Amino acid sequence: MGNILIWAVWVIAAFSCLASGVAVVSFANPFFSALALIGNLASLAVLYLLLSAEFVAAAQVLVYAGAVMVMFLFVTAYLGGRADAPWAGGPGWQQLGAVLAAGAILVEVIVVIGLKAGGRLSEQSPVDEAFGSPAQIGRLFLTDHLLAFEITSVVLLVAAVGGVILGAHSHTDRQELDAGA
Amino acid sequence: MRGPEVTWYLAVAAFLFATGALGVLLRRSPLIVLLSLEIMLNGANLALIAFARHHGEAGGQIFALAVMAVAASEVVVGLGLIVALARRRLDLDVDKLSTLRG
Amino acid sequence: MIVAAWICLLAPLGAALAITLCGTAISRRVAGYLATASVLGSFAAALVVLAELWSESPEERQHASTAFTWLTGGSFEVGVRILADPLSVFMMLVVSGVGFLIVAYSIGYMDGDDEERRYFAYMALFVFSMLLLVQGGNFVMLLAGWGLVGLSSYLLIGFWHERPEAVAAAKKAFVMNAIGDATMALAFFLLIQHGHTLNFPGAFDLGGESSWFVNLVALGLLGGAVAKSAQLPLQTWLPDAMEGPTPVSALIHAATMVTAGVYLIVRCNGVFEQAPHVQELAAGLGAATLLMAGLIALVQTDIKRVIAYSTMSQIGYMFVGAGIGTYANAEFHLMTHAFFKALLFLAAGLVIHALAGEQDIRRMGGIGGLMPMTRIAFLIGSLALVGIPPFAGFFSKDPIIAAALDAGWFGEILFVATLIGTFLTGLYAFRLFFLVFPGEPSPFVREHLMHGSHAYGPEGAHGEDDASRPHGHDTHEHAGEGPFSMTAPVAVLAILSVVGGWIQFAPFWHPISNWLEPVAPPLVEPTNTQEVIASVAAVLLGLAGMALAWLVYAERRLAVPRLAFGRNLLEHKFYFDELYDYAFFRPAVGTARFLRRAIEEPLVLGSIGGIAETFRDLGGWTRRAQTGLVRTYALAIAASVAVMTIVFVAVR
Repeated sequence: MGNILIWAVWVIAAFSCLASGVAVVSFANPFFSALALIGNLASLAVLYLLLSAEFVAAAQVLVYAGAVMVMFLFVTAYLGGRADAPWAGGPGWQQLGAVLAAGAILVEVIVVIGLKAGGRLSEQSPVDEAFGSPAQIGRLFLTDHLLAFEITSVVLLVAAVGGVILGAHSHTDRQELDAGA
Repeated sequence: MRGPEVTWYLAVAAFLFATGALGVLLRRSPLIVLLSLEIMLNGANLALIAFARHHGEAGGQIFALAVMAVAASEVVVGLGLIVALARRRLDLDVDKLSTLRG
Repeated sequence: MIVAAWICLLAPLGAALAITLCGTAISRRVAGYLATASVLGSFAAALVVLAELWSESPEERQHASTAFTWLTGGSFEVGVRILADPLSVFMMLVVSGVGFLIVAYSIGYMDGDDEERRYFAYMALFVFSMLLLVQGGNFVMLLAGWGLVGLSSYLLIGFWHERPEAVAAAKKAFVMNAIGDATMALAFFLLIQHGHTLNFPGAFDLGGESSWFVNLVALGLLGGAVAKSAQLPLQTWLPDAMEGPTPVSALIHAATMVTAGVYLIVRCNGVFEQAPHVQELAAGLGAATLLMAGLIALVQTDIKRVIAYSTMSQIGYMFVGAGIGTYANAEFHLMTHAFFKALLFLAAGLVIHALAGEQDIRRMGGIGGLMPMTRIAFLIGSLALVGIPPFAGFFSKDPIIAAALDAGWFGEILFVATLIGTFLTGLYAFRLFFLVFPGEPSPFVREHLMHGSHAYGPEGAHGEDDASRPHGHDTHEHAGEGPFSMTAPVAVLAILSVVGGWIQFAPFWHPISNWLEPVAPPLVEPTNTQEVIASVAAVLLGLAGMALAWLVYAERRLAVPRLAFGRNLLEHKFYFDELYDYAFFRPAVGTARFLRRAIEEPLVLGSIGGIAETFRDLGGWTRRAQTGLVRTYALAIAASVAVMTIVFVAVR
């Protein structure tokens, strides 16, 4: 019984994940794409929960959906949602090449999973209650993966500085740069 | 509890990644490109979490958190660029932004 | 003593370097004094070496000193080696002694010239090179000195480099000398290849080699000697070399450099004696040159060119002497010739200097009354040249003629040739004297020397080539015939031309022959009878030539015969220049032009452009990958990832 529930949840979450992913890529209006992305993030959070990653799921909703998507929506609103014809433009060979490359990657990954790692992926290790809990994550961040923690903070600092610089008003006259494209 | 095996999650992750890649390669608006980039990153994150669960190593989740932080930073800079472009009244079309042409 | 020998060699080099490095920091006068002092120092050092050698017994008189090993190649080694033996010290004394006098003379002659420092640096360089040549202890050092004197000669002939004739003459001299250098180098290569040492005197022992080999080596050496000494067939550069300043002509083209060929033959007498036919060839070339030059000198109108051909002729005598084996006499004649030829050149220089650069003897008549001391000097020089006793030439030239009698049937031919040469010498020498010195001053001379207004310098020029001869005359004391620095060396040389021959009088006392015997033992020993016959005949013929000259040019009782063909032949110097022009120069230029058209322009220049264009095109093609579109780059990355995944999976 419990198993069927899990499977059902999984199917719904996976399906919505994929659908929203496709939606993000397909919509002409960036506003709708952003909203689809929010849906994507929510379904992913559910999938994370199924994988015993509670903290990550919470962080996903808070940080990603809460902060990053809000930023996206701000900018989309500011820009006025300029649309573009999604499938037009660019050289024909480029589109064909893009489809081929993406398809190739997909196929390869599946093949690799199927061929190379088939047997070993069926056994799942048992985990205890504390797996994926904030306590464990916090302990790992401050002991085994301290360097990653510190570097990540530096990256965030750099991004903040970059954002400020990019947003500052420049000295050059706007008219000067209007011609270039 | 049992549920789908890791392989199913990995398949989903692969699909997400490929979809995101298609978006990056095929769309012209830089905003949409950034969004597609997010999709790709999320696909990678899913794979990481899945493997973390499979091996019982929480290091994968740590990695996923770091990826999230980096994604956030990247979005900051990318959106900053887009806003700067818009302020200079440039066309938001990656095909037109080619002054670095050789 | 070895120290003295090194000092003798290096002092002029030091002066040359000092003058070059000091540049305009020292005055022009000081440069002249520096050069003169260094050569005087060389002379003093040479005297020291002489004294030391004298005090030793004849067998010991050979000292070599190697400064360091210069080249090594396997078992082959060559060092910077100098040799102090009777022959080298003899030459050192002549070179530095006469060189000192001439460099001192130059102080006055070149006074006022803008580039005086360069001149004295070159002169010092020349003296160093010549000393290196004669002091060299192996063939390589000799060749180094050989090449350097060629260089100095080029630099000094072309000293007034704004004159195109001077530049052309310098090039001609250098190229013809290069031919000689090449033959000599080939001879050395042969020696090296056969494993012989190049050090003196070991290099002369070629026993065990085939006669082909020895003949080739000797021919190579002879080629160099002929080029350097301006003998047939490489003689055409010497008259043109008179474009240089007169002291240069005196030092390089009379007293020292051109005698290097004679020194070479005497030094390498061992080699030549093993190749007797080549030695005879040397004598034959000397005799032919002797006659040819004497004939050409009869029609020359430039005072320096007459003396130049005279030099060529006298060196012919020395070649005859070396060719038949009377080495000491050849060297003795070299010494006395240095005295009286330098005297003649320097006296001519006094005349030229007084006439503001004029060298054409047809305009010069009657200058003797106005320049009495010069006249006496010139007369002494001419008498010495012709070989009238008791002047120097008599004692040195006649033994050569006598020795020819002792040298078989070939020697008899040489005997006749040298005697005819004596007649010619008397004729052309006194033609020159009588045309220039005695009698009433010509209008030209009057203008220059008699009036109070001295219009000197290029702007007061008379004659076609005056204006381009940069000649400063700011201090020209006219009471004397030139400044002390010019008249004193002339006086010294005049004295030497009188007494210089008295050092050896063949039958009675012969210290020079004794001195040189260990190094160059003579092949022939003329008897007293032969000596007397030769001397008497030579003196008589010389006097006859003088008398004929007097009749034709002084008294004007006889006229010069018309003989158009002969005149043309002589005036064109036997057409050698034209011959070489057609035989060598034109084909070379034609070949060069053809190569340029056919090969250089299309292939070499074209290929450079072609290579550049290819690279530019490559760059252009590569540039197309930079589309500037983000999407293209992203596609490239995605495709690469796809490919690499396959690769990684497949490899594992």
